[in-house]
Amino acid sequence: MRTDAVRGHLDGLLLAVLEPGPLHGYAIIAAVQQRSGGALELRTGTIYPALQRLERLGLLKSSWDAVGERRRRCYELTEAGRRSLAHERNAWREFTTAIGSVLNPATPSTGLTT
Amino acid sequence: MSTGAGMETSIGAAASGKRRPAAPPDPIDAYVAALAESLQGPSRAKSRLVAEIRDGLDDTVSAHTRAGVPYERAAEMAVRDFGSPDHLAPTFQHELTIAQARHTARAAALTVPLAVACWLLIWTASHDSASWQLPRTTSLLTVHLVAVAAVASVLAAVTLAATGRLARWLPTPHRLPLAVAWTGTAASIAMAVAALVLVTLSVVVTNWPLAVAAGALAAASHAVVASSARTCRQCARLPVN
Repeated sequence: MRTDAVRGHLDGLLLAVLEPGPLHGYAIIAAVQQRSGGALELRTGTIYPALQRLERLGLLKSSWDAVGERRRRCYELTEAGRRSLAHERNAWREFTTAIGSVLNPATPSTGLTT
Repeated sequence: MSTGAGMETSIGAAASGKRRPAAPPDPIDAYVAALAESLQGPSRAKSRLVAEIRDGLDDTVSAHTRAGVPYERAAEMAVRDFGSPDHLAPTFQHELTIAQARHTARAAALTVPLAVACWLLIWTASHDSASWQLPRTTSLLTVHLVAVAAVASVLAAVTLAATGRLARWLPTPHRLPLAVAWTGTAASIAMAVAALVLVTLSVVVTNWPLAVAAGALAAASHAVVASSARTCRQCARLPVN
């Protein structure tokens, strides 16, 4: 499953993997891949503009951190980011419940009666 | 990526006087350069984005080389994983265009009211002084310049709000960067005219140091806003996703 399949959910995925603590760009991609058991594969280039957009919206904050001899931009959730993540989770639960009840109805539909 | 081995090869070739065919450019360097060339925006935001892209590519290469892939192959794979510059540039440009619109809006918001304050200072001084008065045409020009500056300031405030936290709930208007670019251009022209008038005025008024100082401030405002508005116009012309 590539980026196209997760379009519309990218913000939620990024916020979710940053919930435990700050990460840099590549670690975020690796975390999404690891959490999804390898099913979700984000294209590296797509996440940097998304991270900058989330920072502009005040959902993330970032800083340059020294990792070994290199400096990397690390992102972390703000309070607004945590609230937004909670909202994303609720919306996702409602969505999957609604879709699930259509795909797997408790009582199989018998069709329209005339 | 230059290596110690690469440097030795070059030095050895130079010492022997033989011209060897140039080494192919590093795929990562070439990719970053191609992407950076196609992007426009505030220099700080652009250099930060390019640095992050470079970091991301280097991290991907490191992950592949740790898995035993040779560097050249790892670099090619990293570039392929990243996506083609043509495909990604509009996505990157979207954020840079908004960053530039915010930059121009801030420039207008900070410099235009400052210049207007100078104008009002001059106007007040002319009313307080019995020795000199502003010509009527200059007074009218002042009113028009203040109007341009007021419009620029209002649009700047709207832009900063619409592209900031408000954008969590409301979509950013597609044509906002273009509107900011042209309003900034109008404001910069107004500041240039203001500077010219103030400097001209300084020749005929007794309080000339004040007029010169205000003129210099208006000229500085013009330079800041004009430069930012020009880049904003360039950004607004580029395709975005």
